[in-house]
Amino acid sequence: MDLTLITESVPKILSGIGITFQLMLLSAILGLILAVILLLMRLSGKWYLSWPAQIHIYIFRGTPILVQIFIIYYGLPQFEFVRDSIFWPILREPFGCAVVALTLNTGAYVCEILRGGVLGVDHGILEAGSALGLSAQQKFIYLTTPIAARIALPAYSNDFISLMKATSLASTITLMDMTGIARTIVAQTFAPYEIFISLAIIYMILTWVIQKTFGRIEKYLSHYVNP
Amino acid sequence: MTDTLIKMQNVDKFFGDFQALKNINLEVKRGERIVICGPSGSGKSTLIRCINRLEKHNNGHIFIAGKELTDQVKDIDAVRREVGMVFQSFNLFPHMTIVKNLMLAQRLVRKIKKPEAHKTAMHFLERVKIAEQADKYPVQLSGGQQQRVAIARALCMKPEIILFDEPTSALDPEMINEVLEVMTDLAKEGMTMICVTHEMGFARSVADRIIFMDEGEIVEEAVPEEFFDNPKNERTKQFLSQILTH
Amino acid sequence: MEAVDGWWDDYFWGSMIVLQVFFFSLILMVIFGLIGAAAKLSDNVVAQKIAGAYTIIFRGTPEILVILLLYFGSAITLTAIVQIFSPDTKFVDVPPLWAGTIAIALIVGSYATETFRGAFLGVKEGSIEAARALGMSDLQTFIYVRIPEMWRLALPPFGNHMLSLIKDTALISIIGLNETFFVAKQAIGTTGEPFTMYIVVGGIYLAFSSIVTLSVMGMEKFGARTGEGAR
Repeated sequence: MDLTLITESVPKILSGIGITFQLMLLSAILGLILAVILLLMRLSGKWYLSWPAQIHIYIFRGTPILVQIFIIYYGLPQFEFVRDSIFWPILREPFGCAVVALTLNTGAYVCEILRGGVLGVDHGILEAGSALGLSAQQKFIYLTTPIAARIALPAYSNDFISLMKATSLASTITLMDMTGIARTIVAQTFAPYEIFISLAIIYMILTWVIQKTFGRIEKYLSHYVNP
Repeated sequence: MTDTLIKMQNVDKFFGDFQALKNINLEVKRGERIVICGPSGSGKSTLIRCINRLEKHNNGHIFIAGKELTDQVKDIDAVRREVGMVFQSFNLFPHMTIVKNLMLAQRLVRKIKKPEAHKTAMHFLERVKIAEQADKYPVQLSGGQQQRVAIARALCMKPEIILFDEPTSALDPEMINEVLEVMTDLAKEGMTMICVTHEMGFARSVADRIIFMDEGEIVEEAVPEEFFDNPKNERTKQFLSQILTH
Repeated sequence: MEAVDGWWDDYFWGSMIVLQVFFFSLILMVIFGLIGAAAKLSDNVVAQKIAGAYTIIFRGTPEILVILLLYFGSAITLTAIVQIFSPDTKFVDVPPLWAGTIAIALIVGSYATETFRGAFLGVKEGSIEAARALGMSDLQTFIYVRIPEMWRLALPPFGNHMLSLIKDTALISIIGLNETFFVAKQAIGTTGEPFTMYIVVGGIYLAFSSIVTLSVMGMEKFGARTGEGAR
């Protein structure tokens, strides 16, 4: 173990944490929005909305995220209409491509998680809402959403951690996130143990922080289960 | 305003191939107290669930205060406002405090302002003798207390009629009486009610009419004395002998 | 899609490598998962701690990092050892296929540890007590009551673990495994059609994960049927 190498490298690696955070938070927010849209499409009961949502989920959960990143970053520029489109400024950059891929991917997973939450809401509670004269929208907003959110939260927190870990794949399309920087250092120094283990510890700390944060939110949302 | 609050004419209800209701004819007048009994699976719950359209009937007509329940009724919620319902498993909103459970529909459906909704809620909580629990969550209450809250929640909407779907079946024996007491009080005050229950003591003392159902049909319909002391139908006799021996 | 003509056989052999990795990593994953679960359920504090560290490390680290560390770490260690005997050696590595197989088995095994542990604890004590009350021996109770019930509980998450293994195979291409990704890269070099070539890769993986999903659904149905028969 070369300790000076570690003390020299860790600050360099940490300089990429900003990119890791940007990828994670942007994709998480956009992915959640996408997930809600996909969920509403699935629950609409109309086949022309429900099918596209289901196909999206099937494809993005059934293929490796690495393939999705490569298709978007290396694949799409094959077409002239993509290069001419208004999306080109986003799709030209590895960062934009990584966000698009991570969003499409996490949106598919989160949609299924939210759906699990919605299906987990006791049917009797919704009937009680109907019997009191609440409209379908009112039931969805005031009954289904808060109860489903609590049910879905533990699974959502796991998906958030998966998303955080998946940001490291952005390094495969030349992005200098923490993993990208670490791989460059390893290529120069050929000291995989020192660099990669340091990096792994940083990711584990991030995982821990995410878990604790979601634990707090869960406790807050569950106040009515264990008051 | 007619004297007849609920009218069911030749109502059929199917679940797939299974016929849950067969040619139901029933009329309930304002202020009347009806008890429906019968073996499990006889269609009694389905009947009252058709009245506030938690189930759609397939044939026949149902009128609530003169308005017919059809797919054309654009605002089914308007009918539901007049029909309160109390469920076997209480179905309180678990994520809201007791008082908020009572205020939600007042505010969303009746468009009542917050202070007034709160006042109404506390008034009915006092009536079911549970006002001190107003700020607790449903899980903190016993089953009997939760069911009393559910009754108060229905009352807050000032309904014309309340439907009770086996309100004491999910309760521990020692809690049944506190709920029946509240229901008896309501009956005395003249509330129109239809109650599916196995509590024959309650039926005898409170009901104006008892309806016995079996296999989706109304088999017998009589005032309590006649129903218990002199049942006409064989199936009623058999049911009563089973239920009264233990 | 004409561009793909001439590359189908390469894709086929690439797919076979995916299957090979899947097969071996599946076996290893089950072994790691069972050992991890047994350690967590044991009374031995040291074993519990080691298993706890195992799940924390492999669930908290990105998959690609585990693969890189295992491959380059083992390579540098191996090279150092070989250089003692023949100083001229430049680089010796554990073949990417094996480094990658072990890496993804370790990762998914850490998730399987929790699945197996949860399934063991999820069996209702009532069923176990009932079996004991009927006079069944410990072994009989384990075989006839606990195992079938655990199987039923573990199957849905286990299906997800298998999907993870299939999809994680793609990551091994980063350390040079010549599976479908590698084929696509070569094909792009000559045809200049990256979209087409990566779509084929996606299609192959989608086919594999569909097969896994369908088999798990089939097994779940079978499990539900025996469950009903037992009632």
